Amino acid sequence: MKNTSILYIGILIFGIAAPFVFPAFKVQLSILCVLIVLATTWNIQGGEMGYNSFGNILFYGLGMYLCASVQVGMFFPLAEWTESGGEKTFVHTPAQFFQGMAVGLIVAAIVPTIVAGLIGYSILGLRGHYFAICTLGLGVAAGEISGGIEIIGAGQGFTTPPFPDVGSLDSRGEFFYFLSFFTLVLTFIAVRSIYSTRFKLILNAIRDNEDKAEAMGIETMKYKIIGWMISAFFCGLAGGIMGGLVGYIDSTDVAFDGREMGVFMVLMAILGGKGTLWGPIIGATVFHIFKEGFWTFFLGWQYVALGVLIVVIVIYFPEGIMGWLREKYPERFGEVVDEKDRKAQVELK
Amino acid sequence: MRLNKIILSFVSALVILFSTSVASFAKVVGDKIILGAAISLTGKYSSNGVHTQNGYNMAVDRINNMGGVKVGGKTYKFDIIYYDDESNPKRAAQLAERLISQDGVEFMLGPYSSGLTKAIAPVTEKYGVPMVEANGASRSLFTKGYKYLFAVLAPANLYLDVAIDLAVEKNNGKGVTVAMAFEQDAFSQDVRLGVLDAIKRTGSKKVIDDKLPKELNDMAATLVKVKQMKPDVLVVSGHTKGALTAIRQISEMKVDVPMLAMTHCDAAKLSKQHGKNSQYALCASQWHKTLTYKDDFFKDGMTYDADFTKEFGYAPPYQAAESSAALLVFKDAFERANSFDQKKVRDALAATNMQTFYGNIKFAPGGQNVDKPMVLFQVMCDDAGKCENKVVAPTKWASAKLIHPIPSWSKR
Repeated sequence: MKNTSILYIGILIFGIAAPFVFPAFKVQLSILCVLIVLATTWNIQGGEMGYNSFGNILFYGLGMYLCASVQVGMFFPLAEWTESGGEKTFVHTPAQFFQGMAVGLIVAAIVPTIVAGLIGYSILGLRGHYFAICTLGLGVAAGEISGGIEIIGAGQGFTTPPFPDVGSLDSRGEFFYFLSFFTLVLTFIAVRSIYSTRFKLILNAIRDNEDKAEAMGIETMKYKIIGWMISAFFCGLAGGIMGGLVGYIDSTDVAFDGREMGVFMVLMAILGGKGTLWGPIIGATVFHIFKEGFWTFFLGWQYVALGVLIVVIVIYFPEGIMGWLREKYPERFGEVVDEKDRKAQVELK
Repeated sequence: MRLNKIILSFVSALVILFSTSVASFAKVVGDKIILGAAISLTGKYSSNGVHTQNGYNMAVDRINNMGGVKVGGKTYKFDIIYYDDESNPKRAAQLAERLISQDGVEFMLGPYSSGLTKAIAPVTEKYGVPMVEANGASRSLFTKGYKYLFAVLAPANLYLDVAIDLAVEKNNGKGVTVAMAFEQDAFSQDVRLGVLDAIKRTGSKKVIDDKLPKELNDMAATLVKVKQMKPDVLVVSGHTKGALTAIRQISEMKVDVPMLAMTHCDAAKLSKQHGKNSQYALCASQWHKTLTYKDDFFKDGMTYDADFTKEFGYAPPYQAAESSAALLVFKDAFERANSFDQKKVRDALAATNMQTFYGNIKFAPGGQNVDKPMVLFQVMCDDAGKCENKVVAPTKWASAKLIHPIPSWSKR
């Protein structure tokens, strides 16, 4: 156990020191935190519960729009802010900005949670491919619908409040970094603690055989909905932060960005190893570093390079990095291997 | 738990990786002025992104070959760091951040499209990096109080209101019925607002007001309605794909409408790709080669057209011309500021008042160019099927007479 606490303290120190040690990478590091949150929460459905959801992007986008709308709407008329021909310029004071952001993030976390509960109640009865396709549709529909709502900017997009003039130029980067890092820590603690309870076992039971789980007297529907609500809570938070960080919300390209974020979160979890606590974290980190590298060194071919990476993952690491490590070094995962027995089995083959 | 060791070593590897990738700082290095630009090389704006990049490159080469930029008695050459923003605003904002804080760029050129410019502007503004952009026309860019944003082009709401005026004029000053179909993106929606203003001003009536999806490759539903309602004018805007889709489906479905007004016809190379099918389409343009503006570097529109065609193998759409103009503006501002101080360059940019082959450039306090009107051209074909874009409005520049109404498909 001592080893574990050293690890956590090490990561925490790294996380807190990172923006000062690598000041130029603050934005990338903030995005990394958001990616990890998305991958980790996706893993609750896709990894632990066996429900491949493409719909988590819905909560992310919802959170983004809600946070920005609240932040503007608390102090200024939202319709005038998003109106493109408007002649007025609104500027948030620092106090307004941070108050708005705080309330905005709370709303951005809570509303998607409620939405997840309502939607979950109606669609979590679907299984397998049907669930995946249904959730895929949710994200696409949300993008198209929000692109038609005038008050949040419709197709024009929504410019989130510019960061107020406080202190140095670095303050914006630091603010968003610590906000996303804090969310990451919060997500990790929450996910880790629920993974150590009976709840995780129930999710696994649903994944392994839902009918049997039901026959054993588990109210699977209830747990599926709760699982999705937990994901929605953190996805909403992540979306709210990302909206402020990007500074501009577009319905299909930034908020309900199923084509990129929606796919990336699945990819990252699979790359790292779904159904593990650390898999999505490692997957997101590796993915982000590769992506940024490709975008720098293979300009114009970045998607080809990314495609090759995905193919390599699927062929050589179908169980993800964690799964591969586990197979290679089972003893390091606390699995006892009887060398003699293993050899005997190999020889039998 | 041995697992923790793996993770621990993984984290330390990460630390090493980050610390070795030291940010290279480049702004004005040696005799080079390094500009940064995020361009859509892939994604839905990739064709216009390439026009933009070609325009930038052409001007960089030209300025460098003709003596470069003279600041403080020294001669400097332009260089541009490009990144691919994938037509995605989120990516564009990240890249702007990266260009400024990692690559140390102190001056920026704009991306392609209003949406992406909207995403980048808050970043450049925050760092006080002057950005001359040539492809973000949405009005909302100029009402946010940005101080470091300068656009060499006329705002989007002015694109097609001229067309409505023309239609009303042809209708003896009486209001007309207008069908509208606009893509759901920042630029096209702003064009829509301009058209709505014109409709209100002229006492016209809108009969169809459709929004088209971003990956625009079907607008048959709108066209069916147009066939039913028979409006006087059909207005379509949706970047290059919008223009191509509209012409393709209008000709397939044989939709008759007296006036068809669009944007991005030249970027879509309509007259080349669709030949006679695109005939009579009216197109809003920031620039046309026959306009008589002049400068020392590209001489005039016709010369620019010939030089560009020679270098890149296709006629320059206005997206390329305005991108080239952005470099001329930067050169002019650097020389007047006689300094690389960002504030001084910004002030010099704000005081710009010059003529380029692309048009006059003078910035309003909001950053938009107020000294350059839009032009409308019409695709006109001869009997051999060779099509050309001819300016029909405003009258000052007109090289041909507007053909109105468009002959019906049965008579073509």
